[in-house]
Amino acid sequence: MTQILIKNGYVFDPLNNIKGEVMDIAIKDGKIVDSRNLNPSEEITIIDAKGKIVMPGGIDIHSHIAGPKINIGRLMRPEDHYMTNVPGEFPYIRAETGLSTPNVFKIGYEYARMGYTLAAEPATPPVMTRHTHHELNDIPIIDKMAYVIVDSNWILLDLIANNDPKLLAAYLAWVLKSTKTYSLKLVDPGSDFAWLLQGRGLDIYEQIPVYGFTPADIVKNVAEAAQMLNLPHKVHIHCNKLGFPGNYATTIKTMELSSKVHKMTEGPAMHITHVQFTGYKGDSWSTLESGGEDIAKVLNSNPDVTLDLGQVIPGRSVTTMTGDAPFEYVLYHLTRNKWYSSDVETDGASGIVPYKYKEKSYVNTVQWVIGLEITLLVQDISRVFIATDHPNAGLFTDYPLVFSWLMSKKAREETMKKLSQKALKKSALPAIDRELTLYDIALMTRASPAKLLGLENTKGHLGIGADADVAIYDIDPMNMDLSKDYNKVIQGFRKAWLVIKNGEIVVRDGEIINPLVTGSTYYASPEVPVSLEKDLYKAIYNKIKQYYTITYESFIIDEKELLKSKVMNLRTSLG
Amino acid sequence: MQEFILNTGRKTNQSMYLEGPGKFSDQYIQAVSTAEMNPEDVKALGIKDRARLTSKDGVSVVVYVKPTNRIPPGYVFLPPGPWANVLVTEDTDAIGVPSFRTEKIIVEATSEPVTTLNDILKIFGAKTLEIPRNTDIPLKGGEKRIVENVVCTICGELCDYLKIELDGNKIVRNIGGCAKSVAKYLSYHKDRILKPYIRVNNKLVEVSLEEALEKATDILVGAKYPLIYGLSVTNVETNEYAIQLAELLRGVIDNPSTFCHGPTSLGVQETGGVFSTFGDLLNIADLVIFWGSDPVNSHINHLSRNITPKGRFIGGRKERKMVVIDARRTELADMADLFIQIKPSRDLELITALRMVLHDLDLETDNVAGVPRDMVLKLADMMASAKYGIIMYGLGITENGVKHRNVEEMMKLIQDLNEYTKFSVIPMRGHGNVVGSNEVSLWLTGYPYAVDFARGFPRMYVGVTTAMDLLINGDVDAALIIGHDPAASFPRKAIQHLSKIPVILIDPKWSLTASFADVIIPSGMTGIECGGAAYRMDKIPIRLKKILDPPPGVLCDHEILKLLIEKVIKRKEGGKL
Repeated sequence: MTQILIKNGYVFDPLNNIKGEVMDIAIKDGKIVDSRNLNPSEEITIIDAKGKIVMPGGIDIHSHIAGPKINIGRLMRPEDHYMTNVPGEFPYIRAETGLSTPNVFKIGYEYARMGYTLAAEPATPPVMTRHTHHELNDIPIIDKMAYVIVDSNWILLDLIANNDPKLLAAYLAWVLKSTKTYSLKLVDPGSDFAWLLQGRGLDIYEQIPVYGFTPADIVKNVAEAAQMLNLPHKVHIHCNKLGFPGNYATTIKTMELSSKVHKMTEGPAMHITHVQFTGYKGDSWSTLESGGEDIAKVLNSNPDVTLDLGQVIPGRSVTTMTGDAPFEYVLYHLTRNKWYSSDVETDGASGIVPYKYKEKSYVNTVQWVIGLEITLLVQDISRVFIATDHPNAGLFTDYPLVFSWLMSKKAREETMKKLSQKALKKSALPAIDRELTLYDIALMTRASPAKLLGLENTKGHLGIGADADVAIYDIDPMNMDLSKDYNKVIQGFRKAWLVIKNGEIVVRDGEIINPLVTGSTYYASPEVPVSLEKDLYKAIYNKIKQYYTITYESFIIDEKELLKSKVMNLRTSLG
Repeated sequence: MQEFILNTGRKTNQSMYLEGPGKFSDQYIQAVSTAEMNPEDVKALGIKDRARLTSKDGVSVVVYVKPTNRIPPGYVFLPPGPWANVLVTEDTDAIGVPSFRTEKIIVEATSEPVTTLNDILKIFGAKTLEIPRNTDIPLKGGEKRIVENVVCTICGELCDYLKIELDGNKIVRNIGGCAKSVAKYLSYHKDRILKPYIRVNNKLVEVSLEEALEKATDILVGAKYPLIYGLSVTNVETNEYAIQLAELLRGVIDNPSTFCHGPTSLGVQETGGVFSTFGDLLNIADLVIFWGSDPVNSHINHLSRNITPKGRFIGGRKERKMVVIDARRTELADMADLFIQIKPSRDLELITALRMVLHDLDLETDNVAGVPRDMVLKLADMMASAKYGIIMYGLGITENGVKHRNVEEMMKLIQDLNEYTKFSVIPMRGHGNVVGSNEVSLWLTGYPYAVDFARGFPRMYVGVTTAMDLLINGDVDAALIIGHDPAASFPRKAIQHLSKIPVILIDPKWSLTASFADVIIPSGMTGIECGGAAYRMDKIPIRLKKILDPPPGVLCDHEILKLLIEKVIKRKEGGKL
């Protein structure tokens, strides 16, 4: 297989403490190896990365890229598709369509062009997850995974009511294995169930209809089950009251629950996602303010919590899509745009509404500052993750813009000139001088995500034994002032100079040259003792028959249905 | 000479005979050449048992006539099939949906014999009438086994709980399947294409698979703008390969949603919509409305699966109100708590009126599309005060009147109802994997159907890149038909174009389209001999089962397409050098 030697580049590898040193990276048979292990009698492709930075492939921990609601998003946005047609190249490079709802080829190719090599679909309803895998199978080049939505699942709610934590954990293990997913997702916990029965969402301490317990109980029960199951990425939470002014209080209450979770394993206990959307202070849209400072403070004092930004991109046309159906109902009323909503039997619901973030809008500017405030005010940026909740707050192709705002005060100021000055007056952001470095970006987009997903052995670093997923960017830290010339950051990260996936060169000068490289779909398989599985089967078989309208057999996704799978076998404390 | 309106719609016996004895059987022919008319019209015209129907451009067929009160006066109901399609002309309302429900025809009594199938094929311009049919898979008893949870792929219900009993390669019983499903499974071996063929002059000559694939490649690579059509009863993988092939050929690809629920996609493109899955229907819906849909004939297990049984929050049929809105008094209407007979093609008026009532606007007319004002108010009230209402609509909405504008307005009605209560739709999708065809097309190209690759990237322009218009306007110069029978389902002018261009047919069974094919490649039956996955009408994806091997030498659709793709790439690469 291919041998590659990358010479002379500035390497950024936080997991191995490498902060821009010039060093060689050797690749053989899809892995990073010691350069002395290269076989000189076989061909070695030498890449001269002089004046360029070398990083592990990027990891996106939250991006809506595959599944039923993404596909409806595509259906609803023909106006996007008509504008962005890129022909394919005979025979194997496929045509690309779409802007905020790209087709599978555009998703794979654009991530690869940006030097990202793994992306996680963060919300798939169990009964529809076969669809999610169909799409993930068709996304070229990158590795992928999906998080399964469980918070409004009827069987989960029944089991929480039964107060049998071991059985609940066994059920969640069964859901992960049956749906071939990686982590547990809560979307506005309990709200889709209330939406089904009463047409409304819930705040964290409100009672869930029929059951009586609260969304906080769902969070605590699932977080503890995740501990018992030893999941690499425990629980991924989209907080209640998303989209409502004043909701930062709910986010803080959710974060504070982490201290109540009985920890049994290493690593963070919970992850709060797209915190911008649940970071609003104020009691109405006209008095809206950023809750960023408060959230940063709570993150500082709760070491078991991680979060990602959901960073808004001003001027960007997006398609909001989420399992938070009650929120989309609200957004539909605010905008009167097209509105799609779907109830999904037993598992939850979803909603889609196109939207545009306007530069001069007071509210949209407040939204913009939140993510940046949090990142620049937090002490430990290893617990903060860069994402735009693609395609809700921005597109994943906007990440280089976000890097520039974090690395350059000048970039922030240039953008702020175009935004609502009234909103900026109330924000802490204009006064913040802090600028992140390339190392920080590498940390936040490579090292930390690999750790968050429990993949730090093989992903997110360039040490010996790592998977050969490498990105080389035409950015010269020695000869560029990245704070002043922030456009070089944006251009450099937007189209990588060279990208390697599975030890093969896939992108050169921003162009796809090897479209047939396929990534793997990761899924978790927590071990459950046989006797507990028998009890579980007894407890749920009839419920599945009663609640779902497909057979038990149809529900289970076979490993063969994944094009290329990678299982994470997990020892648990259920024995 | 009185003008009538022709309406074509599914009938159980028509589809049952289609699946079972097949399209050349006497039962099928009888079913699709029998028109239903109102007894008053029959009497007024002096019709004994037959009538001559003439299209507005002067082409005629003679059909049997059966009088029934279910059909309103002024209408002729004919099941979809060759007799009906002779009369359907080229108008597609610029969105690719022919006037299957609104074609104007002249009806006269006659004592001429009923037009034969061969005569109709001649009208369509069939290339050959000598089809080497009546080849069955030889059945051999042997190992007796029962396979549970087999998934039927005929219609959008995708019933995944069939119990199939086999004796060797003979399917002996189908428990759980509806009448159509039983017919399909028990006759899976009948009228099968067992060998590849190439048409030489007017005869179909048996050839090897390699020869057939090479000839198919010649046709596809030699075409400037080929059409790939069908796919809605094949699996997800087949759909994926078909789109890849269309892209390689810079051709155009379409599937039957183009004239069925394509308007549903168009409506969602404009407005969005609110949807549910079967489980929501079963477990919580207390008001169900069937609008322009006749599941008793089109989705036979629908009621017994989803409406009759008890659900988690609702005690079954007796705790639900069922409303039927239709132009004809269907058998379903007899089962309803409320039947609203609406004047045909005027559903938009009723939908609009309901929206007006929900917006507290006055209705100034005393009836809307034939529905008395009080009834409209009553219906609006029922809907707004339901706990969870679902409208299930079919081709009566999408193929009728203003078609996709009906759907748009229906979606807005549902969105309006959500101001009051929980309300949604479930479109009654026809073919077993037509939703899959749309979903695959969406994730690969961004568009649900009618996707053109002439410029190397996907484009969709209904009325231009839709299959009906492409054929009627003569825009395509070759066709690859996968798992479908256009000669039995397209309007006359579309079929006539197929007689002028080279046609490749991939199908498990002998069909009317075989008379137009230049290359025929046999395939296995999806859901019996070929597995994969399909999407139910409410979008839930289900894994299909393979319970038998295809006949010797016969491959599955996706395997055939994969081979074609390899050949096309090799051929085009060779040309480039």
